[in-house]
Amino acid sequence: MTDQQTGTKPSHWGRLYNGQILPVVTVILAIIVIWYAGAVYMNSERLIDGYERSKTDWEFSDLVEDSWSMERPILPAPQQIIEELDNTIIDKKITSKRSLVFHAWITLSSTLLGFAFGTLLGIVLAVGIVHVKTLDRSLMPWVIASQTIPILAIAPMIIVVLGHLGLTGLVPKAIISMYLCFFPITIGMVKGLRSPDILQLDLMKTYSASNNDVFWKLRIPASIPYLFTSLKVAVAISLVGAIVAELPTGAVQGLGARLLAGSYYGQTIQIWSALVVASVLGMVLVWAVGIAEKLTLRRMGGQS
Amino acid sequence: MKKLTLLATAAIFGAMAMSAQAADKLTLQLKWVTQAQFAGYYVAKDKGFYKDADLEVTIKPGGPDVAPSQVIAGGGADVVIDWMPAALATREKGVPLVNISQVFAKSGMMLTCRKDMGVKTANDFKGKTLGVWFFGNEYPFLSWMDTLGFSTSGSNPDITVLKQGFNVDPILQKQAACVSTMTYNEYWQVLDAGLTPEELTVFKYEEQGVATLEDGLYVMEDSLKDDAMVDKLSRFVAASLKGWEYAVANPDEAADIVLENDATGAQTEKHQRRMMREIAKLVGTNKVGRLDEAAYQRTVDILMSGKSDVVIAKKPEGAYTQMIWERAQN
Amino acid sequence: MAGRYDPVLIIFMGFSLVSFWFPVGHDGNDSVTWWFDIRAGALVAASVLIAGIQLYFRVTNLTFALFVTLALILGVMAPLLAIDTLRTDGYEAIGLWIYVAGLGFLAWRAMAMLSKAAEFNRLISFAVPALFGLWLLYLWQVVTTGFGVPSVLLPSPGQIGDAIAANGETLYADFYQTVIKSVLSGFVFGCGSGFLVAILVDRIPFMQRGLLPLGSLVSAVPIVGIAPIMVMWFGFDWESKAAVIVVMTFFPMLINTLAGLQATGKIEKDLMRSYAAGYWQTLFFVRLPNALPFIFNALKINSTLAMIGAIVAEFFGTPIVGMGFRISTEVGRMNVDIVWATIAVAAVVGSVFYGLLALFEKRLTFWHASYRRAR
Repeated sequence: MTDQQTGTKPSHWGRLYNGQILPVVTVILAIIVIWYAGAVYMNSERLIDGYERSKTDWEFSDLVEDSWSMERPILPAPQQIIEELDNTIIDKKITSKRSLVFHAWITLSSTLLGFAFGTLLGIVLAVGIVHVKTLDRSLMPWVIASQTIPILAIAPMIIVVLGHLGLTGLVPKAIISMYLCFFPITIGMVKGLRSPDILQLDLMKTYSASNNDVFWKLRIPASIPYLFTSLKVAVAISLVGAIVAELPTGAVQGLGARLLAGSYYGQTIQIWSALVVASVLGMVLVWAVGIAEKLTLRRMGGQS
Repeated sequence: MKKLTLLATAAIFGAMAMSAQAADKLTLQLKWVTQAQFAGYYVAKDKGFYKDADLEVTIKPGGPDVAPSQVIAGGGADVVIDWMPAALATREKGVPLVNISQVFAKSGMMLTCRKDMGVKTANDFKGKTLGVWFFGNEYPFLSWMDTLGFSTSGSNPDITVLKQGFNVDPILQKQAACVSTMTYNEYWQVLDAGLTPEELTVFKYEEQGVATLEDGLYVMEDSLKDDAMVDKLSRFVAASLKGWEYAVANPDEAADIVLENDATGAQTEKHQRRMMREIAKLVGTNKVGRLDEAAYQRTVDILMSGKSDVVIAKKPEGAYTQMIWERAQN
Repeated sequence: MAGRYDPVLIIFMGFSLVSFWFPVGHDGNDSVTWWFDIRAGALVAASVLIAGIQLYFRVTNLTFALFVTLALILGVMAPLLAIDTLRTDGYEAIGLWIYVAGLGFLAWRAMAMLSKAAEFNRLISFAVPALFGLWLLYLWQVVTTGFGVPSVLLPSPGQIGDAIAANGETLYADFYQTVIKSVLSGFVFGCGSGFLVAILVDRIPFMQRGLLPLGSLVSAVPIVGIAPIMVMWFGFDWESKAAVIVVMTFFPMLINTLAGLQATGKIEKDLMRSYAAGYWQTLFFVRLPNALPFIFNALKINSTLAMIGAIVAEFFGTPIVGMGFRISTEVGRMNVDIVWATIAVAAVVGSVFYGLLALFEKRLTFWHASYRRAR
């Protein structure tokens, strides 16, 4: 935060103003207002078109009311999305194919597997890059270049090729999400493993520590904060990867399949509710990594 | 060591016993998502027709980014459902697909246009924006435009082509004057969105004389060299056609079976029951599933007539076989 | 190195010598060894010979590094020759695959020697990653052609190269549509607005606390979900792709710029205050330069996001030109070589984009700690 208000005693109002809750609520309220207005603006054209073709007289209030309750709006109103969420999360059995919880679980499982793969790969690559000069020189540019390949665009082909190699089900999806999420972890870990400064390294030398000791007792602890920062980025990315990887597997189950199916049939409300669930899931994942970070740093001696 | 040998023998015998009892496995790759377009196969599976034929069939749904021919080339399926233009083009690319049964005798493809955007006859296309599906489904459209004499590419084309997504939004939002629709699916989505049949001009490919064959069953050429596989395929075709006959006779029940098999939970009963009735019109009446040579010839001619965008350059040889269908009859 | 024999080279020589005893392919009805063609046998022998010379001298200067690289270049020719004339899949060519595995060790040694030499030579430092990339391409070529992988699954680099050469015009039109129209406009607009909003919000901490949580929510939104919605709103042409990119790039820029603006320490601020500098002067002369590393970080992240965003967004409806359009339709037409050609263009464009940003960053933030000599 920038300059705190100093000098005056904070009133209730001041405490609210400087806290987290009020600003977030304000922003959310603003967005909801804009959203409702936007829904009227976006949906009105098609509605007016409809009124004119069916030759009904209409008032502005009718337009507003109708644009918030269309079956296939261009922009659904918030309460429509909440209704749909209520329908597909609370009312349906969790095992039902129409329950978003079920689809979210499918997506989550491949996300977590991909995230685990990606973390492992990212850390192994980073350790290699920091310790082996040849790898540092040869691999690093390609790690960056690998991310310029639009893997999302060729995910369907990747799935087919992996199927050719006998990999089906969860693994191909996890591989695509691994490909996307190892990158920030590698970059972050390389930074982190190189973060100890000369003084600390020299100190280790004076203790006549071996390379192994330097690695385990100095480099690894120093890299933990960096690792967690990139894990937060990576977990969100691996969710996106898992969602995209669901599209070509025949779009059967998972949030990606819901998005796509909504898109086939022009069910905008379904698209939006799947989107909301995906974003919330992403936030929960990032938050969970944050909690793990706090706990780890506390155990390591509270340097947060 | 002795124990190990014993275990190994037990395992081998166990495996043999298993294979003796187990039904023949077969994987079918659909061209699109689970919907009434594929009702026959789901009915055959749920009603036990496959099981009676000693088959264990896995049905893989497709989607907009799944190329059935690529899946079968990669060994991901034994049988695929594809449209003939795409299958013939693939065959020319060196993946030897062979048609073993043609389930849909008629084409369900059409172009749906808005009258209020000035399309009443085919001559009105000039200067308009038309939505087309790609991914191998564009061939019939391109051939048709060729016969009409309209250019679709180049710096100043007669027709602006849009690659349409999977829904009919472009026509609802007037982004395009016409969109590609199937009689059994997208056309109804246009009506559901509030447009009426009176406001639309519909061009059925069948009526324009540019129809190409759609859903058929394709296998790789190699499978036809193996007697056991041929036997398996003919049992599969027989059971599938039985499923189709049942679905055509009981459209509502068939639609419900499809809904139960839809893992996305996105399909609605109303839409699927309607789709099933339209699909029933496409499945032939006599000799269901037998490829009509005349229709095949017409498809090939249309594909080869293209001046600008040649779909297939040379006459396909051995692209279909009647053998499987014949064997399936007894 | 000196005083010990080089184990990596010994492994390479061992693999190569063993490969002489095994078949390297099928010619008509009989298995043949490396001597099916005098050239292939000579190439393999030459690569082993050079490795042996290096093993004996144990010098690791630039000359010898290039010498070992020469051995590698000679060595890789032999499998290509064999694959060209023989049937080489499965057990019939076990010798060939043993030798290719051995070449991997030789390539490793060549790269290690070059990277030692690279410390004194800028030009060579480019050669190391280039060699690595070429080695990967070579493996891809050898495996796809050697095992006869159907080209509809995975074409070989050679076929992809032919496709690039044959479809130059189409690829350029796609590049123009996707990169020049969609990516650049979306990138400039998204990063620009993210930057401006960050400067505004920086003055109002209240807004900042409200917007940041929202940022993490939006960054978790999958792009495949946004794309169809944007096509619905902005039509089929490049505008909808640019809109997707704006949504994707806005928040990374906002968050990074804010973090960068807070990177300026108290001491610098106090110093500026003692100069009686106003808010804007402090912003322009101290805080923004200090924020540059963060801003460039966001620009680099966004450059890859923008490319991928545009290509994926084109899956959901486009005019019939563009890289995403090409990828999605040519898969359906089984022209997988054109698909990979487009991917190659995308990868090159993305790398150049990233490289230019990295170059600017070096020019503008040479003073930053991360550019001090790496340890």
